Amino acid sequence: MDDDLPTDFQVIVVGTGMVESIVAAACSRIGKNVLHLDSSDHYGGLWASYNFEGLQKFIKEINSDPNRQLQVYNLIEKWYIDKDSPQEETKQETEEEKTEPPKKIWSQADFASEYRKFNIDMTPKLLFSRGPLVELLISSNIARYAEFRCVTRVLTWLNDKLNPVPCSRADVFATEAVSIVEKRMLMKMLTSIVGYNEEEMDNEFKDWTDKSFKDYLTHKGLTPNLIHYVLYAIAGGSDAMPCLEGVRECKKFLMSLGRYGNTPFLWPMYGSGELPQGFCRLCAVFGGVYCLNRPIDSVETKTGDEGKEIVVIGSKSKNLNCDHLVIGINECPKDLLSSEPSESSDISKAIFITNGTIMPSEKEPLTLLRFPPLDEGDNPVTVLEVGPATGSCPKGLFAVYFITNKVKDAESDLMKYAEKIFDMTGDQTKAGDKPTCLWSLFYNVKDVSAGVRDGVETVHVCAGPDAGLDFDRAVIQSEQIFKKICPGEEFLPRAPDPEDIVFEDDVTHGPEFRGDEGDKE
Amino acid sequence: MAKTYDYLFKLLLIGDSGVGKTSILFRFSEDAFNISFISTIGIDFKIRTIDLDGKKVKLQIWDTAGQERFRTITTAYYRGSMGIMLVYDVTNEKSFENIKNWIRNIEENASADVEKMILGNKCDLDAKRQVSKERGEQLAVEYQIKFVETSAKDSLNVEYAFYTLARDIKAKMEKKQEASNPAGARSGTHQLRDERPKPTSWLARCSVL
Ligand SMILES: Cc1cc2nc3c(=O)[nH]c(=O)nc-3n(C[C@H](O)[C@H](O)[C@H](O)COP(=O)(O)OP(=O)(O)OC[C@H]3O[C@@H](n4cnc5c(N)ncnc54)[C@H](O)[C@@H]3O)c2cc1C
Ligand SMILES: Nc1nc2c(ncn2[C@@H]2O[C@H](COP(=O)(O)OP(=O)(O)O)[C@@H](O)[C@H]2O)c(=O)[nH]1
Ligand SMILES: [Mg+2]
Repeated sequence: MDDDLPTDFQVIVVGTGMVESIVAAACSRIGKNVLHLDSSDHYGGLWASYNFEGLQKFIKEINSDPNRQLQVYNLIEKWYIDKDSPQEETKQETEEEKTEPPKKIWSQADFASEYRKFNIDMTPKLLFSRGPLVELLISSNIARYAEFRCVTRVLTWLNDKLNPVPCSRADVFATEAVSIVEKRMLMKMLTSIVGYNEEEMDNEFKDWTDKSFKDYLTHKGLTPNLIHYVLYAIAGGSDAMPCLEGVRECKKFLMSLGRYGNTPFLWPMYGSGELPQGFCRLCAVFGGVYCLNRPIDSVETKTGDEGKEIVVIGSKSKNLNCDHLVIGINECPKDLLSSEPSESSDISKAIFITNGTIMPSEKEPLTLLRFPPLDEGDNPVTVLEVGPATGSCPKGLFAVYFITNKVKDAESDLMKYAEKIFDMTGDQTKAGDKPTCLWSLFYNVKDVSAGVRDGVETVHVCAGPDAGLDFDRAVIQSEQIFKKICPGEEFLPRAPDPEDIVFEDDVTHGPEFRGDEGDKE
Repeated sequence: MAKTYDYLFKLLLIGDSGVGKTSILFRFSEDAFNISFISTIGIDFKIRTIDLDGKKVKLQIWDTAGQERFRTITTAYYRGSMGIMLVYDVTNEKSFENIKNWIRNIEENASADVEKMILGNKCDLDAKRQVSKERGEQLAVEYQIKFVETSAKDSLNVEYAFYTLARDIKAKMEKKQEASNPAGARSGTHQLRDERPKPTSWLARCSVL
């Protein structure tokens, strides 16, 4: 079946991760002839979302393939609950002592039977409401392929408990966690940060270039509580965060407030894995050819007639030719990469499935929680809690993602944070204030920022997922790659609305509709 | 913007490459058919509003964009779909056998209560027929799905098919609304669009403190 695949393209894209998919869409959109391949049977690569069965398959694949362990390693999957639900008889026995627990008691078998209701993200990320991805989705009209929910609250860990972070202006007023004086101080600080343009920012902070954001906040007289909110929760930083970076992060946060909801963030329905697919769809609508399950064996560059460089890709004993190859770093033959500049730090991640939210609220919450480092040498930890309304999990459950820069390994880096907010005993009958963790997965991901060997101008390597909260790096990199392939062309101009496409009259009109049975009442 | 319809249904076309999905969509939305059809002109979905029992029903019908060709339908394609036309080509045995595979694909990816209908297309090509009408009917009975043979070329039963699918969705929806409160599961989601530029709320009201 694969072999009616044409062999000559202007652009071949290998891998369907975020960067690859954006580049594919952008090239196809301006009329390039694009082939988009992936070696696996689904879209997204390490950016994919899986249902529970797909996730099990992913874990098996990683564990059985040493090659893939170069990208994802230290996988530890754990169950905290029984294989099967208790039998009818045992249920009756316990009923004599206790009234029925209000909560469903989950078993591993329940997860299996509801596997389709899970959409678990390997690379969970948020969108800033006024960030580059939202703007790109709107300006390109790719937004019609996706839906989003607003993050409803930002929490932080302060004084050994969870605290809501006042992030909108209304929140600052409403909060009882800070005094009136502190409120004024906070408002003044944040308002001035939002107000700076680049020039003013450089000016204001010229003496702070080698100092930390924390020093700056302290200098401004903020109280420890306020410093905590601004530094850890709003800027998402650590004590060492450089001043200017902190200011920029704050500004980005504040600028995105008030567009869609009470926080600056959006979460994609059914998970981040939907987003690359939206770009792929646009690519296909403009004629891009898609072929999954199609590994590549070799990449060679050669000089064709007229001295033009062409890239030849061997795949299933077929040669595919193109002017430009765009390739995900994890699919790229090693000899094409420059000797790795290993300045990158790897990422520690964890996924937990729990039976309730970490902090009850009236409506189903969608939470961003930012932990400051708990111990010396730790990095800040980002936590995202998503519920059934996002299409991430069945009713009654929450999926909770933990992300940090790796220090030791995913489990040692993250377990102690999880223990702060979950009950890890697996006991679902207890009515404690912490939700019970039912299942968990720890894993490390290599943070790969691409670098291509010099002299190969027709091969463009795309970075894998980074540890950042948003997709900004991916958007920026894809635009850079596109500009190299198609200099002077517009990056993802608005696609017409289907309603606006008028077809030329080179079509034959068929016989009038004669009203088949039952067409009109 | 005033709403010009009572219901909006998202419908999909599914089936092997070459069975006539895009042609069916064109026949229904433009009342047109082009033999030398170029499939790469950027068709995403087409809209047609029909009248059902006095209600305006807006049908948003999505094409595969050719992504079925090498088994590459995105999971995102199925999201939020309320009805699916499963199309095979009566002159192509393989496309008929693959209907079962497509049904499995739908079960895996679409919502469990999506309405389905099977279409045996190209029934104008009787001389080349490989799949009899009876086999189509039998398959439909097996899966308890409605079935009709169509011709996008001769405009046969295409309208009937879409009206039938839309009527079934509407009936199911009205039954559901009676049973529970009508608040759809999708409330609270955002479709991003261009809105009037407004200053950030932070700056806009910062003079109060
Ligand atoms: C959604 C789907 C899932 C399938 N899953 C399986 C499976 O898990 N295991 C299995 O053994 N067989 C599966 N099949 C059937 C199997 O892929 C085909 O019977 C086989 O590929 C036929 O190969 P061929 O080269 O003879 O057909 P071809 O003549 O090359 O194919 C004819 C046409 O059928 C379509 N087609 C064929 N296979 C697929 C496919 N897999 N997805 C989408 N379109 C297709 C293409 O549009 C193609 O143009 C599936 C088919 C479909 C449609
Ligand atoms: N004779 C005949 N040909 C058809 C009919 N419908 C589609 N075709 C032809 O079948 C080919 C494939 O159609 P297309 O709509 O592109 O199929 P798709 O790949 O499923 O979208 C085209 O050459 C069409 O002209 C039909 O009802 N009768
Ligand atoms: Mg088509």
